[in-house]
Amino acid sequence: MSKPKVAFFDFAGCEGDQLQIANLEERILDIASHVEIVSFREVKTGHSDDYEIAFVEGSITRYEDEERIKEIRSRAKILIALGACATIGGINCLKNFLNEQEYKNMVYGPWARYYSTYAARPVSAVVPVDGEIHGCPIDKEEFVEVVKSLLLGKKYTPPDYPVCVECKKAGNICQFERGRLCLGIITRAGCGGVCVSRGSVCWGCRGPAPSANLDAAREVMDEHGFSWVEVEDRLRLYLGHFLKFN
Amino acid sequence: MSNYIVYLEQLEGLFAGWQEKYKLFVPQEKEGFYFLEEYSPEAEISFDYDLLYNPPKSFIFPPREDLIEFDLKTYKSKPLFTVSPQILFGLHPYDIKALNQLDQVMDMGSVDVNYRQRRDNTIIMGLTPLRVCPEAFWGSVNAFNVDFGFDLFWTKIGPATFLVEVGSKKGEELLFVNGRVDKATSAEREVARRKKQEIVSLVQKQNRLKYSWEEVPRVLEKSFDSFLWAEKSRKCLACGSCNLICPTCYCFDILDEVDDKLNKGKRYRTWDGCMLESFAKIAGGHNFRGRAAERYRHRYFRKGKYIYDMLGELGCVGCGRCVRVCTARIANPLEVFNVLWEALSYER
Ligand code: SF4
Ligand code: SF4
Ligand code: SF4
Ligand code: SF4
Repeated sequence: MSKPKVAFFDFAGCEGDQLQIANLEERILDIASHVEIVSFREVKTGHSDDYEIAFVEGSITRYEDEERIKEIRSRAKILIALGACATIGGINCLKNFLNEQEYKNMVYGPWARYYSTYAARPVSAVVPVDGEIHGCPIDKEEFVEVVKSLLLGKKYTPPDYPVCVECKKAGNICQFERGRLCLGIITRAGCGGVCVSRGSVCWGCRGPAPSANLDAAREVMDEHGFSWVEVEDRLRLYLGHFLKFN
Repeated sequence: MSNYIVYLEQLEGLFAGWQEKYKLFVPQEKEGFYFLEEYSPEAEISFDYDLLYNPPKSFIFPPREDLIEFDLKTYKSKPLFTVSPQILFGLHPYDIKALNQLDQVMDMGSVDVNYRQRRDNTIIMGLTPLRVCPEAFWGSVNAFNVDFGFDLFWTKIGPATFLVEVGSKKGEELLFVNGRVDKATSAEREVARRKKQEIVSLVQKQNRLKYSWEEVPRVLEKSFDSFLWAEKSRKCLACGSCNLICPTCYCFDILDEVDDKLNKGKRYRTWDGCMLESFAKIAGGHNFRGRAAERYRHRYFRKGKYIYDMLGELGCVGCGRCVRVCTARIANPLEVFNVLWEALSYER
């Protein structure tokens, strides 16, 4: 069996997910021994257009991006979205709530008129994707899981239930009991509830769980005394793409 | 069975003696909540805790447990057991009742060997509650007293005095690790009986099932088509918290994982729950309980009828954990059982 050729690409994002992979350090060697990496900017130089598996990081935010992602799609047998920006649009979607001139001036200052951009969106809004590795940043273990599944010819399915499940398994005190707003009630699990386990709350970086009941969650957060502004602000941080007026 | 008296100052010596052979877990406070945590001489033991935040089942049926190890090259596999002897000190009667129930379901049909191994390596020491958490209703569901399922049972009968009931030979041996202790007098036994009675009155006054617990299965049977299921479940987040923290819930899923070199793998099990949307999904995508109302109803039927049909007791011991952790505040069995009963009374 010849080794599958793998390439990494990035769009609007911070390359933090590829950094997570680079952080696997020596473990990456075991995994890489089963594949041939033809393009990975954070780890090696050089690039080739001959690949079967494409990992794509970042959101689609410009018309030009569409051309590029479509080309990647046409070359890759398997396209996997990597990280929140790519899987759910992520924090890039914050700008979708501002007017275009406003955010362009904010980012590019006097050069704003030379840049074209549009509402940020996940990769799946432009081309079909074969798999998604959620998170901001991604969980390295989950990345390894996905690669192993690909190699074993299994389909990797991320958990479809909310973070609360893993949070309970970890034995945490629920943040709502401490009067803190937590989006674990609607966010897709798979991270082990890591933010709550480390004393923070879930910010929603893995996107909505397929079973997420957003209306119920809004009502619940309201009953727990959180204001509309607090709740919407929190939801927009990562879940902007899924809110109504998008 | 015999009853003995142990004084507070003897405890440290006993605990030290036990720790030579066992891992010892005792109730301790953390941020205003209580957890069974490993004992150390510096630990402050919360004899007056109201509820352990997490269900004791996690010590015998952990959230994740490795079952077998397999080799992808040779296709050989072998079972995995990773148990060490442990003592769970300070379980309230309702939590012991929940463990007794788990014992029954896990041993039914073919014995769950992993559960059995852990259970056989676990010493249970009960404790009469001194306080009741606001969500509890164990006084109404026949879970305020247990007469088996413990090795020792402790009741604080004075500021520094415990009456200890013996439940097993092993328990008695542990009580005598540093030599024999005094037998309890009948007056002391009477004090212990009253202490238990007092706390039961308290929990019964606080939250009460409006009818006898034996009627719950019949009330549910007549309420299968109630509008309550749809109305209440509208707010359900399908988060499964009410299942996972329940001391009597025992559902699990089985999964595999392989190492980075793709040589060896493990099969493990992990907690699952009937409130999760895909719990009853089968091959082909069909879901037996695809609607929130169906899942919501199912959980109450498990607690109030299906387990009763199997074992003759309710599947809910009234600990109140689900009431506490449900952020949508819709998971309270007592409330649901009462509302359904009232609705039926109106119909009559
Ligand atoms: S802390 Fe957040 S994730 Fe954990 S149980 Fe509570 S709501 Fe769910
Ligand atoms: S707990 Fe929430 S914010 Fe944190 S990693 Fe998991 S999904 Fe992301
Ligand atoms: S259903 Fe709720 S109250 Fe009853 S035993 Fe389970 S967690 Fe405790
Ligand atoms: S009843 Fe409450 S705890 Fe249970 S799944 Fe629904 S929202 Fe979660």
